Amino acid sequence: MWLFLARRIGLAVAIVAVAVTLLYSMIHAVPGDPASVILGPRATPEMREALRERLGLDRPFVVQIGSFFGGVLRGDLGTDIVRDRPVADIVFAQLPYTVVLVLASVGWAALVGIPLGCFSAVRRNSLADRIIGVLSVSFIAVPYFAVSIYALLIFSVGLRWFPSMGVGEPGDPLSQARHLVLPAFAVGLSWVGYIARMVRASMLEVLGDNHVRTARAFGLPERRIVFRYALPIAVLPTITILGVGVGYLISAAVFAEIVFSRPGIGSLLFESVGQRNYPVVMGAVLVTSVLFVVSTTLADLANALLDPRAREKL
Amino acid sequence: MQRTIQGTIQGFQPRLGRRGFMLSALVFGAAATAFPGRVLSQDGRVLRARLYNDVNRLDPAIYENAYNVEVMNLIYPKLVGYKPNAEGWEWQLEAAEAIEQLDDTRIRFKLREGLQWSGGFGEITADDVKYSYERVIDPEIDSPVKGDFGPLSHVEVEDRYSGVIVLNEPFSPLWTIALPYGVGHIVSKAAVEARGGGRFGMELTAFGGPFKVKEWRAGEVTILERNEAWTGEEPAFDEVRLYPIGDPQAGEIAFEAGDIDYTQPSPASLQRYRDDPPAGAVVEDFPALFYVWLGINLDHPKFEDLRVRQAVQNAIDVRLILEAAYFGAAPLATGLIPPGLVGYRPQTLVPPEGDPARARALLEEAGQVGLEVRLAVRNTATFSTAAQIIQAQLNDVGFRCEIDLYDSGVFWTLGSEAEGEQWRDLELVLNRFSSSADPYYATQWFTEAQVGIWNWERFRSERFDELHQAAVRETDQDRRGEMYRQMQDLMEESGAYRFITHEVNAILYRDFIEPAVRPDGVSLFNHFKRA
Repeated sequence: MWLFLARRIGLAVAIVAVAVTLLYSMIHAVPGDPASVILGPRATPEMREALRERLGLDRPFVVQIGSFFGGVLRGDLGTDIVRDRPVADIVFAQLPYTVVLVLASVGWAALVGIPLGCFSAVRRNSLADRIIGVLSVSFIAVPYFAVSIYALLIFSVGLRWFPSMGVGEPGDPLSQARHLVLPAFAVGLSWVGYIARMVRASMLEVLGDNHVRTARAFGLPERRIVFRYALPIAVLPTITILGVGVGYLISAAVFAEIVFSRPGIGSLLFESVGQRNYPVVMGAVLVTSVLFVVSTTLADLANALLDPRAREKL
Repeated sequence: MQRTIQGTIQGFQPRLGRRGFMLSALVFGAAATAFPGRVLSQDGRVLRARLYNDVNRLDPAIYENAYNVEVMNLIYPKLVGYKPNAEGWEWQLEAAEAIEQLDDTRIRFKLREGLQWSGGFGEITADDVKYSYERVIDPEIDSPVKGDFGPLSHVEVEDRYSGVIVLNEPFSPLWTIALPYGVGHIVSKAAVEARGGGRFGMELTAFGGPFKVKEWRAGEVTILERNEAWTGEEPAFDEVRLYPIGDPQAGEIAFEAGDIDYTQPSPASLQRYRDDPPAGAVVEDFPALFYVWLGINLDHPKFEDLRVRQAVQNAIDVRLILEAAYFGAAPLATGLIPPGLVGYRPQTLVPPEGDPARARALLEEAGQVGLEVRLAVRNTATFSTAAQIIQAQLNDVGFRCEIDLYDSGVFWTLGSEAEGEQWRDLELVLNRFSSSADPYYATQWFTEAQVGIWNWERFRSERFDELHQAAVRETDQDRRGEMYRQMQDLMEESGAYRFITHEVNAILYRDFIEPAVRPDGVSLFNHFKRA
């Protein structure tokens, strides 16, 4: 177990380093002077030069990236030039909003998708199975952006059931939950379909296994066979996929945060890329890369804890 | 450990049956509708408005952007401010009891007595005015907006409430963009020095306006509450909540959903709101101060011949661009300076509808029929639509036009010599600059000194530069206006410019609000009232 964790941490560091270096290279390859963008049309050439110096853009690329990683090791992600504040403060202030949105999206998608997939497998080839199949594929096919817009127009503008923007009042969990409903719905909807399809396929496989056949031969009730002997096994691949899916959900959260005018890492990244605000882009990508690696590691660990075969390989 | 986990799985019993699930959903739905959890303003005591970006510098010396000024108006005093809802760009006394121009370079002011800073920082005095203004030109602060104060030399304090603003030379924009706008805000000397002086960005300690910042949740909301130290007219609202919503259409949705009470709709939605406003809502629009134009790089070999440039000017029917890209909501521009400002030019040299026949003749005469040209545009819906109209019009008279779309980061470097040699490839560019309430602000980017910086057309005119310098010092507004009209004629005669629009600023608000705006429709939240 400890060896597994050490290996994963080593791998995580490598993944984050490669992701950040790639991004750093891409940012520098794109034309566009951050000093001009940040300072705007009023800036004099001297002011732009001073800002380039402050950002370290006048130094060789290798020195810049070395300096960035040095700062990361010291816990310093640099200073946001637009706001004159430490990048770490800004990124960590936004992070909880995105994490909550991603968890809520995954959570409801799993809560709905797993039973749907299970039901579909148990009622294989029935009308209900076919309807669920069509719905699942439809959910997968509809883009996050379209779901967000229509959810807003229907539930917020039309019915006024849920707010159209913001994250709710601090210290008021009900208000925060209400503000979370539509974004989480929009981000999680396609995952409902995805999970349902995956659980169905996995369940069908498990329901054909020998241990299920044996249980049936012993005359155990079907309900008990499904929930006690089939579903816990069928759901294991879903857990792994959910871990990886967190990375994709962070991308989806970008759309949701923009459409629902929510703060978060996604909207911060979107705004910062447009501004060529290098320090914030780098800080935000570093944190999301770490988040991605942590979620996949946790998924692997959960998988191992639930599956004795996988645990033996640790 | 293994046994425990396995035991847990084997002991798994689903507790949520169909009925349970449906009941839960019902309870949740009922709870959602029963407890709205929104900040409601039905009692009219809370103003909830859209701000088009999140505040980032509530420091008058480094504010940079208009959205910061909209909040600074609420929290700091100014000697004078724009008169709300006025026809023209007039100012009115605010923190000053009296202000007078002693001569071309000296302005005496007297503060109203009894104005207080919050946080126990005492009375607002002439020392605060001196400190606030001089820190804008302080090299240590290195203000990006020090140009707004032009040739400010210093402020002489005469007594606790009076002082004289001293300029190195006459500066007409002092009354239009310095004193009533961003750099004109007064901060507490004691409060800023207590935190070590210098720039203070968002670390605010003392407020002298009708409101103070209660809470700033970055990217989410800025909440302002009444400033208990304020001794002026009682504000109409107990609280002002400003939500940073970048996309105007997201603002429209938030308005229609009842989450905000004041927003700025996009030109695309303006007609819809005019025809069918939401219940209890009012929509108004105002000519904005922006200027949008098609520029031609005079140093590009393709445009050496004046006839080719004039062919471009004559090929374009500006009215069609406004119809397609701005849905007919934006007014025609006759130059850099919009109606209502000194120096507005009533008409262009080339008529708005253009003259395609003349354009064809000019191109033929120049022997350039079929000339391939490239049009650089920012990748927004409005600009790409406008670019397609321009492309069709140019192709119609004999050009072969291609469009290059750029994101804003790249676009803003295209004509910059500091970025390398790419300015040499720039041919046509659809550009848009923001402006302020003084014509000087618009013309300053087109001098020879700006070639390769912001003057991407590389327009050079000694006469233009002379007029620009003279107009800043001219205090007779009629003579000044004539100078600016001449400057715009010079620009158009060069063949490098086809002016398109000043755009439109619209506001959409609930009828319990009585908004206060500048002539260009920009909000003055400090003067908002309840209807």
